[in-house]
Amino acid sequence: MIDQLGNGLLLGIIISVASVALSLLYGVTRIVNFAHGEIIALGAIVTLFLSGPVDSKILFLERFSPLGISFAVSAIIGVILCGVFGGLLELLLFRPLRKAEVGNIAVLVVTIGLSIFIRHLYLLFATGRVQNFPLDLERRQTYLFIEMTPRNFKVLIAGLIVMIIIGLFLTFTRIGKAMRAVRDSGELASVSGINSDNIILFTWISSSMLAGLAGIFQAIINDVRYNMGFLILLLIFAGTVLGGIGTSFGAMVGGLLIGIFVQVSVALPFMEGHTEAKNAVALAIMILILLFRPQGIFGQKERIS
Amino acid sequence: MKLSIKWLVTILITIFSIYLVFALNDEGPLRILFNLLTFAGIYGLAAIGLNVHFGLTGLLNFGHASFMGVGAYVTLLLIPHAAGREGEITESGLPFLLAVFIGVIAASLFGLLLGLPAIRLRGDYLAIVTIAAAEIFRLLVRDLESITGGVYGIINFSDSLQKYRPIFLENFVSNYELNPSQIWVGLLSWISILFVLLILRRLTNSPWGRALRAVREDEDAVRALGKNAVWLKLQSFMLGAGIAGLAGVFLAFNYGSLQTTTFVPLLTFYVWAIMILGGVGSLSGPIFGSIIFWVIISETDKLASLIFENANGQQLAGVRFVLVGLLIMILMIFRPSGLLGKKEELLLNVK
Repeated sequence: MIDQLGNGLLLGIIISVASVALSLLYGVTRIVNFAHGEIIALGAIVTLFLSGPVDSKILFLERFSPLGISFAVSAIIGVILCGVFGGLLELLLFRPLRKAEVGNIAVLVVTIGLSIFIRHLYLLFATGRVQNFPLDLERRQTYLFIEMTPRNFKVLIAGLIVMIIIGLFLTFTRIGKAMRAVRDSGELASVSGINSDNIILFTWISSSMLAGLAGIFQAIINDVRYNMGFLILLLIFAGTVLGGIGTSFGAMVGGLLIGIFVQVSVALPFMEGHTEAKNAVALAIMILILLFRPQGIFGQKERIS
Repeated sequence: MKLSIKWLVTILITIFSIYLVFALNDEGPLRILFNLLTFAGIYGLAAIGLNVHFGLTGLLNFGHASFMGVGAYVTLLLIPHAAGREGEITESGLPFLLAVFIGVIAASLFGLLLGLPAIRLRGDYLAIVTIAAAEIFRLLVRDLESITGGVYGIINFSDSLQKYRPIFLENFVSNYELNPSQIWVGLLSWISILFVLLILRRLTNSPWGRALRAVREDEDAVRALGKNAVWLKLQSFMLGAGIAGLAGVFLAFNYGSLQTTTFVPLLTFYVWAIMILGGVGSLSGPIFGSIIFWVIISETDKLASLIFENANGQQLAGVRFVLVGLLIMILMIFRPSGLLGKKEELLLNVK
């Protein structure tokens, strides 16, 4: 079971970062964003394209060669591009929908269409094969009692630092406070002079940057695929729901817990030989939480029926 | 049925899409047409089931694939088949119609099982729960190899249906070099659509149907009038799930083998696209939506060959799904009522 704890923490940190992003967006805009997974994949795909060795033909119909930029710079550009992409989505698609007062169920269906659309554009123009970042293989080492490669350990630490930064940002900065104000009540916030359009745009950008970062983490730990985001989207929903929808702190803890549940459940006696079904455990937890404690671990009571 | 402009346009577009099949294919247009009409029948049936959920009752169901899956798996496991890695053969089985009946009932009961807890949730939460439940179903089916054949699926079950194939079909089919077993499945699915629509027409015009629509419009008002809104929603869930189960059975017989990969969330999204295209809340809308949708799908390879020289299977599938995603987005933004739906009857906002 200890063996799986390290894997659980790694999966947990991916889900955790992505859940915070999803939860922020839902809190401020009330959009259940099914296209979240595609922004996650975008981060990984952009980073792969920027950092891949120049002589390899891996992406984009094998027509363009990768740029061969150093990995760290590629990752930063990847995250920034995800932010730009999220901002464009808000400006070109979701803001007009909001102004036209399109209902939130219609918007939910739009995000599903968007998700299918973008994901298969990746399949067509980016990568249909499983790819890996151009990083050296590393040997596992023991940290405390958990075994993982030094690189994955760095990812874990980086993820935790990002969490702390988000927490501080939301609590202490002016814009973070404004985001929480819009989340709690859009009308009251605009009465107090907060421009909710700007806050929503900022939320889209920051949420997408976080999603892109989660995608880069996921690609470092596992690999790059066109549907990598969709594969963990339901786990991200599970993390968000477990922690309490709309609470950022809850999403962090919820995401981490879901990751650990999924990986540790492999070691449970009744799961022997059924490792494929491990995601079912997390999804079942999510359904149970929605039924019996819909506000999650940390959320406040809200009418959801 | 009043022949309004909406109907006229819908019928014209449908005829035009069928014409497109002949115009774009020099070789064997009839074979292509009957292939896509079979799929259109099966998916149309599933979309009618989904329309009972979303169109009539306002339930945001994104787990439709699992209802189709339950119907298919239960039915096939009850008739002679071969399953699993070794292809373990089960020779004995129930009579075909009884097996289908049990399969449909099983799908309904799965609807009840999923509905009982989930129906209390608000729209967007219901969407997440149903899609998650459908994934749990798929993962369990894949995992329980000893019963369901797991990733190896179920094969050799088609005879139970094909032995009832009438002779006149063979004569008709042999003239055009068509696949007789597929035509038989297609024919049955369209006959089922006819029956289901007749039943639904009666049901929706009954007091029960009016109560159902009232639940969609204002649940509290229904409660105040002494109706049991939760039970009404559950009945709707079971009815739609049963119809989906029947569609699942036809889908399995059309493929000739049953794989867990058939029941991925994308299947649900296909059915959603068809329902939205045909018209949410319109009983016969999904039929037209389904035909038009499948013409688009089956002609995408022409489009794909414009973009890619020698497109491979993966690229073809990619182009199709790009179109499906685009279709869902554009319809939902610009014409959420689809071809035949009524805008005022749409549930687009969580109450």
